[in-house]
Amino acid sequence: MNRLVLVAEMTGRDLWRRRAVLGLLAVVPLAFYLARRDSTGLAVRFLSLGLAWAISTAALFSSNAAKGVERRLRLGGYRAGELYLGRLSAVAAIGTVLALAYFALVVVDQELSRNGTVLLSLLLTVAVAAPLGTLISAVTPRDLEGTLVLITTIGLQFLIDPAQSYAKLLPFWSNRELATYAVDMTDAGYLWRGVTHAVCYAVVLATATAAMTLVRLRRRRHIRVVAASGSR
Amino acid sequence: MRDRDPAESMVTPGGTHRRPVRLQARGITKTYGGRRVLADVDLVVHAGEAVAVVGANGSGKSTLLKICAGLLSPDAGEVVIAGRLGYCPQEVGLFGFLVPDEHFTLFGAGWGLTRQQARRRGRRIAAQLDWDARVRTQVRHLSGGTQQKLNLTLAMLGDADILLLDEPYQGFDRGSYIDFWNQLGRWRDAGKAVVVITHMLDSLERVDRVIELSAAERGVR
Repeated sequence: MNRLVLVAEMTGRDLWRRRAVLGLLAVVPLAFYLARRDSTGLAVRFLSLGLAWAISTAALFSSNAAKGVERRLRLGGYRAGELYLGRLSAVAAIGTVLALAYFALVVVDQELSRNGTVLLSLLLTVAVAAPLGTLISAVTPRDLEGTLVLITTIGLQFLIDPAQSYAKLLPFWSNRELATYAVDMTDAGYLWRGVTHAVCYAVVLATATAAMTLVRLRRRRHIRVVAASGSR
Repeated sequence: MRDRDPAESMVTPGGTHRRPVRLQARGITKTYGGRRVLADVDLVVHAGEAVAVVGANGSGKSTLLKICAGLLSPDAGEVVIAGRLGYCPQEVGLFGFLVPDEHFTLFGAGWGLTRQQARRRGRRIAAQLDWDARVRTQVRHLSGGTQQKLNLTLAMLGDADILLLDEPYQGFDRGSYIDFWNQLGRWRDAGKAVVVITHMLDSLERVDRVIELSAAERGVR
């Protein structure tokens, strides 16, 4: 547990010191929000997508930066799960801070009677975005390829009509359901569909990434460790 | 693969062969993209023995070390390790935005060291390499040679019994380079099994044994 917290702490420090990048990423949700500030429903939805973009990108870059070091840390006694969960926790924590900040902005700037749903939507966005960025890092070799995959994913999220059935395949489809529930005062079906979709996506992404991390950082079969004689 | 002048190289003051085997690689074979890089390679290293691995570019030196460290799977063969392993890769694998002390803390925790123990031990090892690691400079701002010293220090942090060093002196100035080989001798004398990849033929007298890898496609020389 302590080592998991330490990995999270060091990942957080590493991310926090990339202030220029973090600052630019933090502005993405704001830019999306301001672009449709006149329409509350769209403003909330675009804010969530901007947050998704920012957190996925942070997770992608953080995971890529850690790839080489993690193999050494694994040799040095860490468990693969500690490395994965520690890094994911750090990204999720930063995402949560950002989500709370933007929630405060929405509360001050918009008139909503279901504020709690907006907060829930932003937090679920973080829960999906953090493992999404980590997964993209796991399946692409470098930042450039990962960024292109991410742009495609988030871009499709903007372009595809959420009413289409296949739109549910996209990771942030839940944003539309939750934003509709929060802004248009629709029935609870929107809320449950959104929550279910986001939770399922978060679990699947986190599980898939965990499995890939375990494979990447596995102990190789050709290594046999025997008791050392005359040591220590 | 061949041992150079084994009669001369295997004799050490402590009697290398009477010391326990720390690392034994048997029948290591590895193919990349249809090209066989390593063919049935054996390597045995005892406690208190320093072995240099030499060979032309592409002869499989780094691949062999990665396989011995367990970072890469061979197509065939096995590696038996008796003791704690420290590995220093050729490429610097560090967090650019963390400072040296934070690296000591992070890596030390893997070996069960507290923050204070890890910092103290890391700084002590760094000092042996003629580097004052108390600096609060982020790693990305350190020179290439200093980053390599940190890389090497991290490999030593767990007080390893077996050290696998892949050209660990890259970017070192002349003084640091000499310090490194002196330090390698001290590690060896302290009973550690050391395998070092090197192109520096002028330093081969500092090790007990030299193993030359030739390109597997050309066969064993």
